[in-house]
Amino acid sequence: MFPKFKPAGDSAIAIIFGSEISEEINKKVHAVAETIEHTSPEWLVEVVPTYTSVYVYYDPIKISYSEIAEVLKPFLSAEPKKEEKRIVKIPVVYGGSFGPDIEFVAQYNNLTIDEVIEIHSKPLYRVYMLGFLPGFAYLGGMDDRIATPRLEKPRLKVPAGSVGIAGKQTGWYAIESPGGWRLIGRTPLKTFDPRKKPPSIVKAGDYVKFVPISEEEFQEIYKDEWGEER
Amino acid sequence: MIELVNVPSLITVQDLGRRKYQSFGVPVSGVMDEVSARLANYLVGNEDNTPLLEFVLKGPTIKFHSSTVFAVGGDVEVKLNGQPIKAWRSYWAKRGDILEIGTLKSGMYGYIAFAGGIACEPILGSCSTYLRAKFGKALSSEDKLKLGYAILTGKEGKQLPKEFVPKYEKENIVRVTLGPQEEHFTKRGIETFLTSEYTVTSESDRMGYRLEGPKIEHSDKGADIITDAIPLGSIQVPKNGKPIIMLADRQTTGGYAKIGVVTRVDIPRVAQTRPNEKIRFRTVSVEEAQDALRKREQMMKAVKLFLKGELRAYKLRVSEEEVIAFTKVEKKK
Repeated sequence: MFPKFKPAGDSAIAIIFGSEISEEINKKVHAVAETIEHTSPEWLVEVVPTYTSVYVYYDPIKISYSEIAEVLKPFLSAEPKKEEKRIVKIPVVYGGSFGPDIEFVAQYNNLTIDEVIEIHSKPLYRVYMLGFLPGFAYLGGMDDRIATPRLEKPRLKVPAGSVGIAGKQTGWYAIESPGGWRLIGRTPLKTFDPRKKPPSIVKAGDYVKFVPISEEEFQEIYKDEWGEER
Repeated sequence: MIELVNVPSLITVQDLGRRKYQSFGVPVSGVMDEVSARLANYLVGNEDNTPLLEFVLKGPTIKFHSSTVFAVGGDVEVKLNGQPIKAWRSYWAKRGDILEIGTLKSGMYGYIAFAGGIACEPILGSCSTYLRAKFGKALSSEDKLKLGYAILTGKEGKQLPKEFVPKYEKENIVRVTLGPQEEHFTKRGIETFLTSEYTVTSESDRMGYRLEGPKIEHSDKGADIITDAIPLGSIQVPKNGKPIIMLADRQTTGGYAKIGVVTRVDIPRVAQTRPNEKIRFRTVSVEEAQDALRKREQMMKAVKLFLKGELRAYKLRVSEEEVIAFTKVEKKK
């Protein structure tokens, strides 16, 4: 069963540690990813940890697919280190033009909009991974009662800071981009800045709490963060 | 320094991409067609990863404010001070010279390389432009760009042998390795994918090419997966059954099932396909894909050394086919 290796094209191999989102599996993912990255073999291009898998990008000129699984096996025994719990608060305006899909999410789950907000802003979410776009954090721990499928056809443009739901996942768009998530709100924070170290407001292993705010508070924070009116 | 006088299309500075930041969600970016870009760089004596200009369909007009050696890569008419010159050949430009590049006759992306490359401040280790995060910018007219150190390693009059000039087709057969989520598709879905003709739509850009064609059927596992990584050339199939090929500016991770990944050797072929042109997919093993890549890289290395004057090219006849081979240049005593 797990972990198992799968080719992902001719220049990447996926190591898959499970088939569900769980804290335990994700901690293992990060432990293995860190160990491979730390060892930095000469054929290594980069390592991308996700919820349940580690993608190892390699140079096929230096190592072939048939060799790489063998070479990676010893890394699989890496054990997670103890994490310190850091909580990052993310202010969000829910609904309206900031979250145009919140009504759909409410209807789909037979809830009121207020119930959606309450359920979404209650938990402490774990940051399982960063990905998709610069500074985009994938959070775990969303309540199943507000789970909603992605759009059938992704939007061509989603504004920076948009908070959304996709299936059982939730998170925010750190920069403007196309995307298929159901948008329920927006944060005024600048969550990714390549000039800052680290460039992202959160890192894998952090915890996030969404804090509902008013539109006025949004405008105030937005101006501080971005140096301009929205 | 060079100045962009006329900018008719998206023109960006690119290198071979931004590495080691995908785990922060930062896309790789870089040139769409690495073969064309690297060959253009070789012609002016640069290394593979030297920053150069990439344009879409229509080339710019450029004024030289300092002397340098340059080369244009692409199926395109080029003029220097009004006189026709060749693509895939290096030329010397003096201060005040004007380079005019026309519209690509085939293919989607063209390249302009300068000896020493374009000078830039790397962001997270690369000069690749990534517009969505405002890493670099879309160049516009009157923009001036500094060139790299003027150690003019580039020599004028270097010409790419015609055997190596990339050809861009209107109908492409593209090799893919299946997976990593092939179990999210029915047997019929995979058969549809491998036997149908797909058309590149106008909703395509440096991030990915959306394809129109027969709908690919998902299995009962559905179109959505637990979000995982997206290697270059991944073919995602959202619920609508229409494939999207993920290219240079692709997001690092995503939640649609991937039916296959385009082989590295065939990425340039995909990138150079225009909207309304066609793509068909054919499956190969990972080993075959890696063999093809090794062969291509051997050839790229030989071409690079040939253009540096360290190898000599000659023609061989293998059965009915003429092929190019290389030998070392005998050094004069």
